[in-house]
Amino acid sequence: MDWVPIAWLGGIAFGFAVFSVVAGALTGPRRYNRAKLQAYECGIEPTPQPVGGGRFPVKYYLTAMLFIVFDIEIVFLYPWAVAFDSLGLFGLIEMVLFIATVFVAFAYVWRRGGLEWD
Amino acid sequence: MGVQNYLYLSAILFTIGAAGVLLRRNAIVVFMCVELMLNATNLAFVTFARIHGNLDGQIIAFFVMVVAAAEVVVGLAIIVTIFRTRRSTSVDDANLLKY
Amino acid sequence: MTVAAVVSAASVPAASVSAAAADSIPAPHIEYGVLSPLFVVFGAAVLGVLVEAFAPRAARWAVQVGLTVLGLVGAFVAVVLVASSDDWKGARAVVAEGAVTVDGPTLFLQGTILLLAFVAVLLLAERRLDPGPSGAFAAQASTVPGSPGEREATRAGAAQTEVFPLTLFAVGGMLLFPAANDLLVAFVALEVLSLPLYLLCGLARRRRLLSQEAAMKYFLLGAFSSAFFLYGIALLYGYAGSIRLSEIADAATQAQGSDVLLLSGVGLVTVGLLFKAGAAPFHAWTPDVYQGAPTAVTAFMAACTKVAAFGALLRIYYVAFGGLKWEWRPLMWGVAILTMLVGAVISLTQQDVKRMLAYSSIAHAGFVLVGVLAADDAGLRGVLFYLLAYGFATIGAFAVVTMVRDPAGEATHLSQWAGLGRRSPLVAGAFAIFLLSFAGIPLTSGFMSKYAVFSAALDGGASPVVVVAVLASVVAAFFYVRVIVLMFFSEPAADGPTVAVPSILTTVALALGVTVTLVLGVIPQPVLDLAGDAAAFVR
Repeated sequence: MDWVPIAWLGGIAFGFAVFSVVAGALTGPRRYNRAKLQAYECGIEPTPQPVGGGRFPVKYYLTAMLFIVFDIEIVFLYPWAVAFDSLGLFGLIEMVLFIATVFVAFAYVWRRGGLEWD
Repeated sequence: MGVQNYLYLSAILFTIGAAGVLLRRNAIVVFMCVELMLNATNLAFVTFARIHGNLDGQIIAFFVMVVAAAEVVVGLAIIVTIFRTRRSTSVDDANLLKY
Repeated sequence: MTVAAVVSAASVPAASVSAAAADSIPAPHIEYGVLSPLFVVFGAAVLGVLVEAFAPRAARWAVQVGLTVLGLVGAFVAVVLVASSDDWKGARAVVAEGAVTVDGPTLFLQGTILLLAFVAVLLLAERRLDPGPSGAFAAQASTVPGSPGEREATRAGAAQTEVFPLTLFAVGGMLLFPAANDLLVAFVALEVLSLPLYLLCGLARRRRLLSQEAAMKYFLLGAFSSAFFLYGIALLYGYAGSIRLSEIADAATQAQGSDVLLLSGVGLVTVGLLFKAGAAPFHAWTPDVYQGAPTAVTAFMAACTKVAAFGALLRIYYVAFGGLKWEWRPLMWGVAILTMLVGAVISLTQQDVKRMLAYSSIAHAGFVLVGVLAADDAGLRGVLFYLLAYGFATIGAFAVVTMVRDPAGEATHLSQWAGLGRRSPLVAGAFAIFLLSFAGIPLTSGFMSKYAVFSAALDGGASPVVVVAVLASVVAAFFYVRVIVLMFFSEPAADGPTVAVPSILTTVALALGVTVTLVLGVIPQPVLDLAGDAAAFVR
């Protein structure tokens, strides 16, 4: 019986999704343009495959790698943030040192042109 | 459901990853298999943390994730560079060094 | 900044946060003084990254070399200061809330690693042998060899000065690895030392394909082996409920929990350690990587990685698995015998100098394992001495390899070395000294180190292994003598390689290698005493 509230929540979420889609289809104006037909928000434009197989420019991988490494370093902020009050000054200083070190790497990437697309 | 089942799952995932490293020929896929092994290890860590009732295992999982990310970056950098030189990421083509 | 600080900062809150979030958690106690060698090296590495970001291109090489040398020397001074003070003795050796142990072996190994890294950096900074702003390294490693992009980078005077911060990060990991008192710190240190090495392997300016192939092989196999290491840690954590070495040892002596977890954990951790140490059957990467990597990087790896890996192996085996001696010793017997035989026998068939040195390093890993087998303080003393002596000889040998050149770069094929002793007796003589030391001929450091580990293993009751070790030494010695004969008693080819005149850096490195090899062979006692004083692990 513990699962009933979760089932309720799932049901409500599903109902809301159906309601939104149906309501949007019924009430929204239909004025299409180019941007609306593209892939949603992010990703590479779905063009036909170029000759020699679809290859992404190396820049894409470079940016993706930089994103991954900086994104995941920040995971250490979570345990610190949860216990921020009880850790006091020592925790704050350690975190500042940690972020400063990550920032050194960021400065390197930025100065050496890792963030420029062209 | 017993908590041991997570350990079995972790062992199975680790074995799949190890088998993939030994059997697959594309460097990227080999590398993904290594990542699968690391994530299987993470599953084992959090399960053991649950069994022992201390949080060490969960903290370790954080560290493993970060180390794995750094490893991804270094590994992809090497693989992309070798691809640009050779136009291939097959580990069978990397055969200049032998005997 | 350091892993230790982050470990303790992170693990303390997690343990008690569920109880009461508002309670204040006592700040972990970090012994900054005792840990200062690590801080100096990592600090210099981070500064090096800043130099890469902000210093003008023309100034970078000089600044980086200076910073690296300063960092290594500063860290060595710090090690000496810590060793001569009483801060680290006794119960206070376990520092940073138990994450790191700074005891005798740690300090001896850290000093060894810093000295060897200093000599290796001299080789890395050599620019006269391979003229150009970047020395033996690619001007820009990301460009395709022979492409317009590479020519442009070379013309603009680009230099891959990242070599130096990467080296410092690797050294930092190596300093931490043998000091790690819990398996998480060991894993993080292992990765911190490995990841820069993977990159350094791929940076050669000449024969870039070989170099990149070496980097990829090293990386894929290294990542594979560290995954095994990590799973081993997980199983040991599952067994003992802790990753602290002493608590694993306690759990193992009380024989609580399942033996399957314990023994498979020990096995998997061993795989990771033996891989880094280059012992059979996990040696397959060694020849390829040693041959493909830039020779200065090979020298650095061959010497320093071996010290760090065996340091960690010793600590984990003696401290955490000390009570399981009877379980792991038969296994290690087999590994040591296999490693010595593989290294000695296969080196007989080698035609390339760098590959030959790689197989020789495998054989030496086996000899060091013989000392590990003794599992007592005498064995530990022998291993510490062996690592120091072997490190200097191997860096010296690779320094000679960088100097023997033909128009295409280094001439590494053994047939090209024929008659080298007639053209340049000094350089060939130095190489002969290193080979004699590898062979374990008296009056060289190799003899004393082999004597130290073999006698310790005999006393420790591992006589069959010692017999095999002596036989393997004889086989290997035969090969080394053959190379010496080839260098001195055969006619040089007309279009053979010449010995290039290096700058002061390589000369100093080579001179240091020869001096240490001879001095340790003639008057080894002070260093043996130092190693003997250091040879006791604090739990």
